[in-house]
Amino acid sequence: MNAILKWFKKMPRSQWKLILLVASILLFIGVWYAVSWWTELRDPVQGSLVPPPDEVASSFYWLLSNKDRATGIYLFQHMFTSLERVFLGFALAFALALPSGLLMGRSWVAEGLARPIVEIFRPIPPLAWAPAFLIIFKIFWGPVAVVFLGVFFPILFNVMLGARSVDRTLIDAARTLGARRSDVFTKVVLPYTVPYLMTGVTVGLGIGWMCIVAAEFVSAEGGGLGYFILANSDFGYYPEMYAGMVLIGILSVLTTGLAGLFEREVYKRMGMD
Amino acid sequence: MIISVKDLRKVFTKERREVVALDGFDLEVLESEFVCLLGPSGCGKTTVLRIIAGLESKTSGQVLVHGKEVASSRPRVGMVFQEFALFPWRSSKKNVEFGLEVRHVPRDGRSKVADKYLDLVGLSGFAEAHPHELSGGMKQRVAIARALANEPEVLLMDEPFGSLDAQTRNLMQRELLRIWAATRKTVLFVTHSVDEAVFLADRIVVMTARPGKERESIEVLLPRPRDRTSPEFIAVRSRVLSELDEEFEKARARELSHSPEVKNNA
Repeated sequence: MNAILKWFKKMPRSQWKLILLVASILLFIGVWYAVSWWTELRDPVQGSLVPPPDEVASSFYWLLSNKDRATGIYLFQHMFTSLERVFLGFALAFALALPSGLLMGRSWVAEGLARPIVEIFRPIPPLAWAPAFLIIFKIFWGPVAVVFLGVFFPILFNVMLGARSVDRTLIDAARTLGARRSDVFTKVVLPYTVPYLMTGVTVGLGIGWMCIVAAEFVSAEGGGLGYFILANSDFGYYPEMYAGMVLIGILSVLTTGLAGLFEREVYKRMGMD
Repeated sequence: MIISVKDLRKVFTKERREVVALDGFDLEVLESEFVCLLGPSGCGKTTVLRIIAGLESKTSGQVLVHGKEVASSRPRVGMVFQEFALFPWRSSKKNVEFGLEVRHVPRDGRSKVADKYLDLVGLSGFAEAHPHELSGGMKQRVAIARALANEPEVLLMDEPFGSLDAQTRNLMQRELLRIWAATRKTVLFVTHSVDEAVFLADRIVVMTARPGKERESIEVLLPRPRDRTSPEFIAVRSRVLSELDEEFEKARARELSHSPEVKNNA
């Protein structure tokens, strides 16, 4: 007994963390089962409103090779629709927010001109736009526009903050070395802003995934995981509904992880790790 | 004459208050001369340097580098800052190459010049290191190499060793003299350390309290390497110190008599 205790005490922090991770997941699954049983006990006639994890898992497995009953197409297709929308919305927001943020951070004229417009749009949650965008941009691009809005502001404001806080002496040094205004912009301001940009990207991606699901609830027949979840819920196919939710969680974790990897790679390249 | 400043005046406006930083400032620096600019804080030493570097506009007067008015075209001066001002995302070598890069020197040429100057400052082994991996003294070596790589006629140094510890500071002073001897650049060096000025300079220009102008120009005729403990060194030191003390007292008296004035770090 004592030996085991000693062995436990000697374990490095990293191993403890692994054990805690496994314990945490097991705890989660346990609670899930408990809730599932409890809802079934409460109303044995209707059955469980929260399907147990194994049922969701087998439904997920089934959906991999079968068209789902509610929407009649493969889960994959919904997934790709959502991924495509998130990617497009993100790419458009990135492409527009980066130069705008740099400009607004470095030029008081640009900021004076753009800030009021930005402040008009900012307090309106992106999701409030979903119906309007559905009308304007139709079923595919409507949700893309919602994602765009969700991603745009975090990137814009972070880049603006970064561009504004560029170390004054770095610009002075560049100028005494012969840098023109354009050089200062591309070789000093832009690299200085990268860490801020990365923060904006990470935050923006998270918001993007929140936006896409809700926007797809609204744009019903446009497909996507949001629509998949809603449709299966309408038909009472709860295991499928939960499988869709799990898939969105997985995708969100994966893309955020990818952004993190990208971020680390950029820092390594820039020698700032 | 490589630097010629005549009747320079600089007025800052901060919060609607005008502060005369420099008034009637004259300075002449000869080719290959090592001049230290010394004065109480707030006397406008740094402002002089920044105007010569083209980083700050003058209110009136004439500032010539090699007979040409500065501020217009790209000035042929290099500048070294107290805060090192290295680009943290660039390696030492890439930092040194910066000036050549913006002047569109081809890659091979850049690399060669950067290697040469990194070698001169004794950092050949740290070409690929990034600033965060370097000590303060090494960072300032990179900054000096970066300024020199542009082959400027004048090297402006704004309290470059001000943030280094005493030992490193002394070492860097000796190193700077070695580099100066090797390149024969004209150096205009701002400091508030009397000891540093006497150790380094051919000539020390003591400035008055604000508005700054030249109070005294003192030739330091001691042979190099200078011994900080020698009676001759100490004699020059005490002379400079007494000049400076008077200005310091003046500045302090004014600060006490006036209502709090807008401060600027120049």
